[in-house]
Amino acid sequence: MRRGTRRGICREAVLEAGAADPAWLRARREEAWEIYGAMPLPSTRSEEWRYTDVGRMLPFDELEPAEGGAASGPPGELRRAMEQDRESAGRIVDVDGRVVSVELDGAAAAQGVVLSSLREAARAGVHGVESLLATDAVPASDGKFPALNAALWTDGVFLYVPRGVRVDRTVRLSRWVSRPGTATFTRILVVAEEASRISFVDEILSPGFDSVTLANTAVEIFSRRGAQVQYVSLQRMGRGGFYLANQRTLAERDSTLDTLNVALGGSAGRVDLNARLLGPGANSDMLGLYFGDADQHFDFNTSQDHVAPNARSDLLYKGALDGAARGVFRGVIRVHEGAQGTDAYQTNRNLILSDRAVATSLPNLEIEADDVRCSHGATVGQLDAEALFYLMSRGLERERAERLVVLGFLGEVLSRLPLGGVADKVSRAIEAKLRHV
Amino acid sequence: MSDSPILAVKGLRAGVADEDLDILKGVDLALGPGEVHAIMGPNGSGKSTLAKVIAGHPGYEARGGSVEFGGEDLLEMEPDERARAGVFMAFQYPAEIPGVSIANFLRTALQSRLEDGEELDLFDFQELLMERMELLGMDASFAERHVNDGFSGGEKKRNEILQMAVLKPALAVMDETDSGLDIDALQVVARGVNALREENPEMSVLLITHYQRVLSHIVPDTVHVVVDGRIVESGGPEVALELEAQGYEEYRKAHAA
Repeated sequence: MRRGTRRGICREAVLEAGAADPAWLRARREEAWEIYGAMPLPSTRSEEWRYTDVGRMLPFDELEPAEGGAASGPPGELRRAMEQDRESAGRIVDVDGRVVSVELDGAAAAQGVVLSSLREAARAGVHGVESLLATDAVPASDGKFPALNAALWTDGVFLYVPRGVRVDRTVRLSRWVSRPGTATFTRILVVAEEASRISFVDEILSPGFDSVTLANTAVEIFSRRGAQVQYVSLQRMGRGGFYLANQRTLAERDSTLDTLNVALGGSAGRVDLNARLLGPGANSDMLGLYFGDADQHFDFNTSQDHVAPNARSDLLYKGALDGAARGVFRGVIRVHEGAQGTDAYQTNRNLILSDRAVATSLPNLEIEADDVRCSHGATVGQLDAEALFYLMSRGLERERAERLVVLGFLGEVLSRLPLGGVADKVSRAIEAKLRHV
Repeated sequence: MSDSPILAVKGLRAGVADEDLDILKGVDLALGPGEVHAIMGPNGSGKSTLAKVIAGHPGYEARGGSVEFGGEDLLEMEPDERARAGVFMAFQYPAEIPGVSIANFLRTALQSRLEDGEELDLFDFQELLMERMELLGMDASFAERHVNDGFSGGEKKRNEILQMAVLKPALAVMDETDSGLDIDALQVVARGVNALREENPEMSVLLITHYQRVLSHIVPDTVHVVVDGRIVESGGPEVALELEAQGYEEYRKAHAA
């Protein structure tokens, strides 16, 4: 519960977040805090942050670290979002940075699948947490925000799938942020052992806020040899929300590690996604979808790191921007020395629905091998007047015609998604948002 | 003409928006229920402009005269209102709508015809769609394809006919639907139009074409020849044959202002 005096983002908050932690974790938090302090805040002078002025957009001095949610369970809006989901193999609910409930299908549990509050898993010394938390995937040394998250995280998810176990139904995280002006720090750690299969959906919602409210997330995903993993992030915060995520996926030999980032809500969103292809035969499909209106600001910074030869990655990010919304996509394909036989593709397409909306697209290639197939492409286009007339000539009112074009445009991303239930949910969310535009 | 016309065009002058030049320089036309009129003319004569003005294309404007549809002033209506009132234009170059299936498009088009708050019954819609596709001899999977996305010329025209069959207009304006089609595709289109006319003898068709060829498949009651923005001759199907024999050049010379 909130205290009388303000604490802010400070060392005391770090100590408090780790008060009941084992020594290794307290040490890791302290070290992360030091790294955080030693790094400057990203400025627009750096290429990667040119279009998102975090110093101006995020009032660091006023943010109050969140201290966990009410015990009364998920609020109505979150429950309604959860009810739209199809059957799940597991479900974890997080309110204001604290896990409030965990359910896991009995069959999955019997096969050794672990779904847990990350905080509890760390404290209980669950195997894998100490070695993989903020080490190989999103370590504090990665940057200012990864460091801040590693110092201040309060809870999150640990999902472990043992070797050969294939979980067919989705495991879901439903997050709710309720308090204006707070900063929530969440971590997600997914480990899929050899030849296992899992799909994880991370959905965040909140009401609208008068003051900037930060939801910071570090996502670490490991797919071991031959595993198949899918991670989906649905960002549906209310206005005032600032979603800031660092995601890293590590795909080992012959594994598939696919991601989808959906940004619909909040006032601002910044997602840094780094996909690392670490073994031959690894494959990552990276999908993104954003739809902004009013003064929403979405910034995606992606990288496809081909460390190993003969791996494949294919990125498609599509965005529609209305009102005075701003979309930024900056993506790089890095083919490391020796990564021969790489197949890497990157496409970003934007649909501008208003004179005041702006899309910036910066695709990039850095190739240090010679036998590769790589392509990148970016487009920024407007609604096609002929297409609108065509639809209207069949009786569709202008708004309905526009809606259909936007849905079709964004739908291409969802059609690539093997998970039917997620696509339906995202389609409905886009349709609902379109009705309000 | 026995009945009062479904489409009455009087003294219509029209051109491309933002350009001073009139392409149509005073067109008069009356189309009765169930009638098929062909509009023939050389390139640049204004026949496609007439189709676009009737459908309400924003790139064209009427500057004089009137167009009435079922007694209502068509020029005052938005393109979607015209469609809901029963006007259908089969496009010469239909737009591509990526990511939107034909079925979803048609469902939305029918939904647009309902009152606010009224929901289209999805089961009824599916049944209608299947029945219409069967009538036109189309494979059911066609409706799952995205609207004109990557379609061949023939497929685009078949899609136009399918939409016409589902939306059941009172007036079908066919803007050079036959152009660029091989004989097989042309027959598919013609069979579709004829099947719809048989089913609804009240449906009127304004068939805009450059070639006589299509008129042996869809037989018109009246043929109008348009030269330089005016109808210079109207008559029975024999006019089209004459035209084919003489070529447009004779008409141009005879009607040069």
